[in-house]
Amino acid sequence: MSKGRILVVDDDPQIRRVMRVALVAQGFEVRDTRSAEQAFELLEHEKFDLVLLDINLPGMGGLEVCRNVRATSDAAIIMLTVRDTEKDKVEALDSGADDFVTKPFSTPELLARIRAALRRVPLPAEGGPHLIRLEEVDIDLVQRHIVVRGKTVRLTPKEFDLLHYLVTHPNAPLTHLRLLQAVWGPDYGNEVEYLRTFINQLRKKIEKNPAKPKYILTEPWVGYRFELP
Amino acid sequence: MQALASRVHPRTSVLRLTACVAVIGVETFACSQWVAVNPTTVGFLYLVSILLIATSWGLVEALTASVLATLCFNYFFFPPIGAFRIEDPLNWVALIAFLITSVAASQLSDRARRRTREVLNRQLEMERLYAVGRAILLADLQRPLGQQIVREIARIYDLQFVGLYDRASDAIHQAGPEEVPNLTTRLRDAAVSGTLFHDEEARLVVTPVSFGAQPVGSLALKGLFLSDAALQALSSLVSLGLEKARAQEAAIRVNAARQSEEFKATLMDAVAHEFKTPLTSLRAAISAILSSSVSEPQQQQEMLQIISEATERLSALVSEAIRLARAEADGLRLKKQPFPISTAIDVVLRQMEPVLEGRNVRMDVAADLPPVLIDVELIQLVLRHLIDNAAKYSPPKSPISISARVEGNYVVVGIRNEGEGISEWERSRIFEKFYRGAGARERAPGTGMGLAITRDIVLAHGGQIRVESVPDEGAEFFFSVPLAMVGTRA
Repeated sequence: MSKGRILVVDDDPQIRRVMRVALVAQGFEVRDTRSAEQAFELLEHEKFDLVLLDINLPGMGGLEVCRNVRATSDAAIIMLTVRDTEKDKVEALDSGADDFVTKPFSTPELLARIRAALRRVPLPAEGGPHLIRLEEVDIDLVQRHIVVRGKTVRLTPKEFDLLHYLVTHPNAPLTHLRLLQAVWGPDYGNEVEYLRTFINQLRKKIEKNPAKPKYILTEPWVGYRFELP
Repeated sequence: MQALASRVHPRTSVLRLTACVAVIGVETFACSQWVAVNPTTVGFLYLVSILLIATSWGLVEALTASVLATLCFNYFFFPPIGAFRIEDPLNWVALIAFLITSVAASQLSDRARRRTREVLNRQLEMERLYAVGRAILLADLQRPLGQQIVREIARIYDLQFVGLYDRASDAIHQAGPEEVPNLTTRLRDAAVSGTLFHDEEARLVVTPVSFGAQPVGSLALKGLFLSDAALQALSSLVSLGLEKARAQEAAIRVNAARQSEEFKATLMDAVAHEFKTPLTSLRAAISAILSSSVSEPQQQQEMLQIISEATERLSALVSEAIRLARAEADGLRLKKQPFPISTAIDVVLRQMEPVLEGRNVRMDVAADLPPVLIDVELIQLVLRHLIDNAAKYSPPKSPISISARVEGNYVVVGIRNEGEGISEWERSRIFEKFYRGAGARERAPGTGMGLAITRDIVLAHGGQIRVESVPDEGAEFFFSVPLAMVGTRA
């Protein structure tokens, strides 16, 4: 049985080949393409759980592609790039990517990132509420969607997972490490810039005034805290 | 020092003096033998002749004529006629008055004549200095300035020889039809000692050229004596010209250094990008096998196949990088030399025989193309890139055409293939860093380090590179390199 459908977008045929072999061996279903245009076409007609996207695509760059994919699809996105400066990471995450892998990467590393991007924060074991109503925001943990001030708002899977973890652990400081490991997986812990980017996105989507947040508060030097009245 | 025009050859002086004697003689003979005139008329006639002589020839001739006329006046017209005696004291007064008048008139008109000539000389000097100044200001900065300065001075002053010694570069520039022996020593001496050398017989002047108090060179002129002021002004203009040349060289050096830095940055970016791609395949494939992420024998076989291909690709990249690094070793300071472009093309085609796999290469290169001034290693690299590209992006059996022709001061080389061509959008980006044509990697996962480097090399030669293409008919890359200058002598 397929563990998930993955779309590989990279303009180098050799890299596509090696990823295809490795991913198929792990039980994923894999499609690959070399250009942004073909990727959009495939995404339109088929459903994918994850997109592996090279940042240096000919024509439309990878970041632009990432923004376009994010606008239409819930698939997790992992960017592949040759540079790993802070600026590059933030740019990738800002454009909607869930994670970021630097070339050259090892296959186990890539597989771990893929697993992390595909995992979802599990629902609380028993009895917990599946619908959380805040003053201005309704969160449906089963349907994985939210309504803010009467309007349905799209969250990416990782954004939803982060919000999910925050609302189920309210009114307590949550460290960067704890949040990263809970949402992205046990291999994470130093990627504070991931958190910063995702928290910013969440604030933009649910807070009335993202500059003065009401729900998602910053705990200086520690992490974040979800404020439930 | 006097202006050339006021100096008279000895033979001319003798002729003129003879003419003076003849004029006075003819007048005396005419008035005493043919027409009867009174002594007053004769005196006026003599005076008119003396004034004319003073105005057109000079003081010596006029004084000679005055003395001769006084003697003739006495001998032929004052009684007793036919003797150098004068009986009437009044005639003594008349004769002395005539002598004084003629001498004074000679001096006055000679002075007027000199003034006029001086003014004309000054005017000519000013005009020539202006012309030299203009020539230096408008000099072509792309060509050696020292050579242009001497050529212009020789032309403007119509000199037999002009030599210019530039102390900073220890170079001597010369122009004009004649040669000057021991020139180098004389020019260097003048520049070092700061003293003027003057050889009247050879009509040669060697003057130091200073910028402020600093001697920066020396200037030798043959065939003309300039006034001190004019010589000084000319040497000041030349020193300004030399300083301008120096500033220009400094600017070129700074520019070259900047280009070299940019070149290095481009190279590093290209290297990082090109190397990481096969390295990614290698690392991913090897780690997949080591971590048992792939376990099926068939999948492992495929990974090994990828490893083998990526290794070959890396090996080709390393060879290319070594070639580039060698070419780039001392920045973009080009080791230019005159070289026939056809030879460079032949050498590259021979090297590329295995890549071209017996493809038809059409050559349209004239046998008598003049040599170009190039860094042979780097231009061969450009040719290799462009021919390699032409081969990669066209069907395996299609022909490649190479042309070379002279356009202005350049030779333009064209390399054409019959591939799919390049879209207009791609043409505008093709020389950018990192950019590779759409589908390029699909067909040709080659070693291309980027057209950006090719472009940098051509620009560093002062040439240009461009591409023309008709979709589905092919593409033609053109680059230009300068013709080698012919000699340094005007």
